[in-house]
Amino acid sequence: MNDRKVLVVEKNGYQKQVMAIYQFISDHLYFNRPDIEIKGEPYNSAILLSLLTGLTKGKELIIGEPGLGKTTSAEFICSLAYQFPLGVIWGSEVSGHPEQTEEKIIGRPDLGKLNRGEEDVVWTNFSQMPVKIVDEINRLPETKQSMILDGVDRGNWEYLNEMIINDEYCLFATANYQDGGTNTLIAPLVDRFDVIVESRYPGANLSFLIGKSHGKDHILRHPKYEKDLYRVLKSKIAHQKKIPKMEEICNAFGEYVQETLGVKPLKREDRDRIRTEMESLDLDTDASAFARMLLAELSFCDRYGQKRVVENCEEGCHYTGYLCRQIKNCASNRLPTSIKLFSQGLAWLLGDSEIDIEHVKAVMPFTLSHRVQWKDEVLSQKERAKRDDPFQIFLAKEAVKTVSQRYREQSDHLKDALAVGSKIFQGESLEPLEGDHPIYTEIKKDIRHRRNH
Amino acid sequence: MKNACSKKNAPNPLQQKVYNILNPFEEFKTFQFHKMEIPLDQIVQSTEVVMDQIRLGYERLLEEEAKELVWMVQYNTIIKAYEVAEKYIKEIDYSAEDIEDFCFALESPHKIPYLIPGPAGIYISALCNYAKEEEIVLKLSELKTEINLIGFRLPKGKRLMVEGDTGDFTGIGLEGGELEVEGNAKNWTGAGMRSGKILVKKNIGLHTGEWMMGGEIYVGGRVRGLGNIVEGKVYERDKLVYPGKVRYPNPYY
Repeated sequence: MNDRKVLVVEKNGYQKQVMAIYQFISDHLYFNRPDIEIKGEPYNSAILLSLLTGLTKGKELIIGEPGLGKTTSAEFICSLAYQFPLGVIWGSEVSGHPEQTEEKIIGRPDLGKLNRGEEDVVWTNFSQMPVKIVDEINRLPETKQSMILDGVDRGNWEYLNEMIINDEYCLFATANYQDGGTNTLIAPLVDRFDVIVESRYPGANLSFLIGKSHGKDHILRHPKYEKDLYRVLKSKIAHQKKIPKMEEICNAFGEYVQETLGVKPLKREDRDRIRTEMESLDLDTDASAFARMLLAELSFCDRYGQKRVVENCEEGCHYTGYLCRQIKNCASNRLPTSIKLFSQGLAWLLGDSEIDIEHVKAVMPFTLSHRVQWKDEVLSQKERAKRDDPFQIFLAKEAVKTVSQRYREQSDHLKDALAVGSKIFQGESLEPLEGDHPIYTEIKKDIRHRRNH
Repeated sequence: MKNACSKKNAPNPLQQKVYNILNPFEEFKTFQFHKMEIPLDQIVQSTEVVMDQIRLGYERLLEEEAKELVWMVQYNTIIKAYEVAEKYIKEIDYSAEDIEDFCFALESPHKIPYLIPGPAGIYISALCNYAKEEEIVLKLSELKTEINLIGFRLPKGKRLMVEGDTGDFTGIGLEGGELEVEGNAKNWTGAGMRSGKILVKKNIGLHTGEWMMGGEIYVGGRVRGLGNIVEGKVYERDKLVYPGKVRYPNPYY
């Protein structure tokens, strides 16, 4: 790993600090095998993507069998990326169950004040904390899932005409595979997650090791700081005033962790600096063209103008060979946002100066798999294929691989077509380039729109 | 007045809208695109450019030498036409395939309006003589018209093979080249040739080898009649017929 990491160290200290957190979690807290390879280096997708979720203020859905570390992995990440003792994280988690209420998730009326005829809200720890974990989200009934949509999406938590806005927050939700007690996650909620990742079985030997080791949860606990943080969270001061007080305690906990464990958690200013650096990274032309090509396949319909979940495309379409023929729904606008956010995060972490196609290809399946609704015939065709990933992620990886192959064949032509598009938008008198892919039709539609103006 | 002025200076909101239009391809603003062409397009395009030049040369030859579309075969008209053809051909960069394409184009009125076999043959001969390739194959078996004067002044070191029949005056004035005709050749074949070899696989017409100064003519079929040969050899089915007893005295000479 380590040539690149050495390079990164020279380039920027934060990458080293973040990789040290990754390594610490991987070595001491969350035993697992590497399951993805990025630019020749092996990584564990659950730790890597969770870490990027924390750094990019993202939202991650962690799926997996019960007891395979979905919640714990998120807790460790939150603790080390945001300097919170585990006890406080546990106390702010929301668990999905049918009896869950808005009062337990967001806030409740201040009963003392209510007795005096005043209306005030006591916000839950969950709504106030910058790290949010919803455990077993798919045990929330579908009707109650809508309750957290806005909070999940924007960090705005509203109760009794009062609202707190989380300027900095990340969200982790865990979900078991379908069983008797689970519900289907509604499409708008699923779409709000940037990435989905599986917390996998580490293998018999590592699992045996986990069984033998005790107390790894406790190394990230500190009762005093936990008590102090609870006191701040429960205090009646405005939410914005609580933040600096919490940060002060978090910094003290961070120093304690550094002294005792040798790993340095990220302070608020570290995270802000990291985000500023990430935001300065742009997609190179290949990464951009490839992402556009995939988005075109996931949204294009020659007959009906765009994909719609209520419309089924006909047989005999010219674009039968593309992904649009295999899926039911249209890619949402959140998909490119998630792709860019996580590609930026990954490019930054690897110390690269811009986002290239490898970064995009690495994160794409995880941003895509929960958002795509495949047609039944595709599901039945591929269900029994040999694979290591859960079915949805496997299908997404296959789709990215297929589009990547197509991109390799026509990357030059596509980039030319996009460049010609740009020139036409700048007022040059050119004709859009032709090509056999939905993206060329999309380019022509945009140009037609420009010419009609 | 003040109001009028301020109104004049105010930006037109519609105009502003056009300028502020979002460019969804902004990232590719500085990307240097190059017009992609598949190899076949390039081949077709370059071939067409060359064909246009060759056609133009032929049309100029007709304009200069076949006014009113009449061309009489005479010693001086042939020499003159060849000189004109040479002048245009020297400026064209073409290949043997282009000569063949030109031969076929001769029969497409929309490409070449007038096919006059004499000047056409002179022009094709000049094309062959100035071609880069030493060996040229012309597949003319599909042509409905027999081209005259093919192989005129074919120089030493060149080999011209014609698939199909040729018209009158085939290989006249041959200058050391090797001309092979897969089919028949008509009258006056090899007339005035100085050196080289003509091989006609099938039959040959009258006046064969007229004023021939050297070289050899091989005929795989029958020789209908020999001309007045000065020097050289003529073979009919591997049998030397000149020098020797002239079996077929020329009735027209």
